[in-house]
Amino acid sequence: MDLEDCMSSAGEEEEEDYYCSDRDSLDDALENEESDPQWAPPKGSSSKVITKESLLAAQREDMRRVMELLSLREHHARTLLIHYRWDVEKIFAVLVEKGKDRLFTEAGVPILESHNSDSSVSTSTAMCDICMEDLPSNEMTKMDCGHCFCNNCWTEHFIVKINEGQSRRIRCMAHKCFAICDEAIIRDLVDKRHPDLAEKFDRFLLESYIEDNKMVKWCPSIPHCGNAIRVEEDEFCEVECSCGNQFCFSCLCEAHSPCSCVMWELWTKKCRDESETVNWITVHTKPCPKCHKPVEKNGGCNLVSCICGQAFCWLCGGATGRDHTWSNIAGHSCGRYKEDREKKSERAKRDLYRYMHYHNRYKAHTDSFKQESRLKETIRDKVAVLEGRDSQLRDFSWVTNGLYRLFRSRRALSYSYPFAYYMFGGELFNDEMTKEDLEIKQHLFEDQQQQLETNVEKLSKFIEEPFDNYSEDRIMEIRMQVINLSVITDTLCRKMYECIETDLLGSLQFGIHNIAPYHSKGIEKATELPISWAAKSCNAEKRHKLEDTTNGGTSESDRPSGSGSSDEIGFSSLKRARKDDGFGDSMFDLNLPADVIDRN
Amino acid sequence: MVDFGRVQKELQECNKDINVSGISVNPKFDNLINLIGTIPGPVGTPYEGGTFKIDIDLPEAYPFEPPRMKFATKVWHPNISSQSGAICLDILKDQWSPALTLKTALLSIQALLSAPEPDDPQDAVVAQQYLKDYQTFASTARYWTESFAKTSSLGVEDKVQKLVEMGFPEGLVRSTLEAVGGDENLALEKLCSG
Repeated sequence: MDLEDCMSSAGEEEEEDYYCSDRDSLDDALENEESDPQWAPPKGSSSKVITKESLLAAQREDMRRVMELLSLREHHARTLLIHYRWDVEKIFAVLVEKGKDRLFTEAGVPILESHNSDSSVSTSTAMCDICMEDLPSNEMTKMDCGHCFCNNCWTEHFIVKINEGQSRRIRCMAHKCFAICDEAIIRDLVDKRHPDLAEKFDRFLLESYIEDNKMVKWCPSIPHCGNAIRVEEDEFCEVECSCGNQFCFSCLCEAHSPCSCVMWELWTKKCRDESETVNWITVHTKPCPKCHKPVEKNGGCNLVSCICGQAFCWLCGGATGRDHTWSNIAGHSCGRYKEDREKKSERAKRDLYRYMHYHNRYKAHTDSFKQESRLKETIRDKVAVLEGRDSQLRDFSWVTNGLYRLFRSRRALSYSYPFAYYMFGGELFNDEMTKEDLEIKQHLFEDQQQQLETNVEKLSKFIEEPFDNYSEDRIMEIRMQVINLSVITDTLCRKMYECIETDLLGSLQFGIHNIAPYHSKGIEKATELPISWAAKSCNAEKRHKLEDTTNGGTSESDRPSGSGSSDEIGFSSLKRARKDDGFGDSMFDLNLPADVIDRN
Repeated sequence: MVDFGRVQKELQECNKDINVSGISVNPKFDNLINLIGTIPGPVGTPYEGGTFKIDIDLPEAYPFEPPRMKFATKVWHPNISSQSGAICLDILKDQWSPALTLKTALLSIQALLSAPEPDDPQDAVVAQQYLKDYQTFASTARYWTESFAKTSSLGVEDKVQKLVEMGFPEGLVRSTLEAVGGDENLALEKLCSG
């Protein structure tokens, strides 16, 4: 049986079969699983992988919607979308709330398109207010806002702005004119002087869809896979890119639920820092008054001598002579009580123990997780052995299902410790709830965590048993246990997440702590975004223009192939789709090394 | 590359109506990158009667990038650093437009002298004083104007006299003085450098 398939169906178990006591219902549960052999993305799975090829198609969708609703030209639609961070709903909301004029002026889209551009061509010369030269009208360009300057000045202005990194919002040159310039004019003019800069400009515009969009983020893989991920509704989620990298969409770190992003950041910082080592040193050592090295007292009386030879009083840390009796040091007395220092060291000690407690458990589960990852291989072997045997049992999906359940629960369990460390640490939420309240909640949470822990360990134990050597009855027994425990741990994980989301974090006033929702099936895999063919027509005009200028352009076979990935058919169809999109020929391939782009 | 054609035209344009606006722009040395602008203190303000000099450096991409301007004359004003002369004005930063000119920028600075914006200060000390104790602010500003913006209390004829006594021909002295906006020290510098 294919391992992947097993994993896929793992989550199909119904929650109602919380505990199956007899074999009939067990079989039912299994049959239910089998009835749905192909793992389909759950309803909530709406995250998409945006590749270099589908980036254009992805933004076309949004642009077309805006163009159709407001009957706008493409570059105005883009200007609007960039201003409103690609949030189409927001644009519609502003339109309803403030009206078209406000919507446009705020984003820098000119309200009245000048239709008298023809008449201005008729006059032979005009003065450009920038360079103050009289120039023939055919060397002047009028923007949609009505301001007219010479091509040289426009070009110079665009080059300065693109180099300043402001490609996405290049304003008209006139003072106090907030209109955004037509991207086609910018590209045309800049291309004549700096073709490479025009390409850069194109890329900036294209990537605005990722950079200026809170629902789209680059996959944080290193080395970078070149993909971006788009989520649909909730930005607090965990996704898996098509490159296999799993991450928290919100903070781009590793997936860390049920720990919140803020907590996870604090935790990783704490683990990385030596602050706890420093804490230990504060508690257990005192600095030598002469050489300032930390000195640990390992017994004996309170006169301590450092390796540098300096003697000092352990109680106060002050330098002393060497003469002393068991109870006092000659010429030295420091019997006065110093409250501050006592308190400080007590506190440091308590904090250290607390941190150690949580960190040990976090670490233990992460380590178990790592060890269990190796089980994949052994399990595969065991199943192979069993399948080779001539027995009644044919289906061993429960083994792999159980294994993946174990992985997921282990993961949730290990990240629940940093969560608990901060949740009940009394630093983050001091102002939000009373100590008593927090204590009650802590007990509730810890009970759940405990329960989960117990069941995860049981599950682990059964899965690790060498059942390939067992008799059929024994195997049936283990099978029942594994299936039961899988269902139980899944339910417990879900409950723990619910408890965190609603009872703990949900009761907080300031919603800075958010966690990704629990998915029984594990971290959601983002699906590839299909390249839309319908987007073809909307840019027909531009395509013709481009085809004229490129004069046939480079044929497909002239291009060096990209990453050489994927199957031939899929790859070439992607290429073709891009070409037909109209933008295609002027586009550079992000897969290509820079020098190839430059040559083009 | 600075558009020298435009800079030259700007200088001519600006100095044409110097009698009306009182604003002039002149080369500091013999190039068109380092310039000196002069604005009269606006009437009815503590800066009245003063002549303020502004150092102007043109960046490579002028006029597509804003000119760099700062006060060469010490001035007591919430939006101008009393130490360095740095000016806090939006059109000299992100609100610059290539359609603006040196003269319009200087006019804006002059307007800034009449209407300080203490809520967006360059010099926090001055801004505090402006908001809390306007009287003291006004008298300090007036004192600074007297001390620094009137380099010489001498009349034009006195200045000419003084420079001629130093051995320069009168015609040259008059034209030089006019070129630098009546500043005898600048005129002397220019006369000496040939």
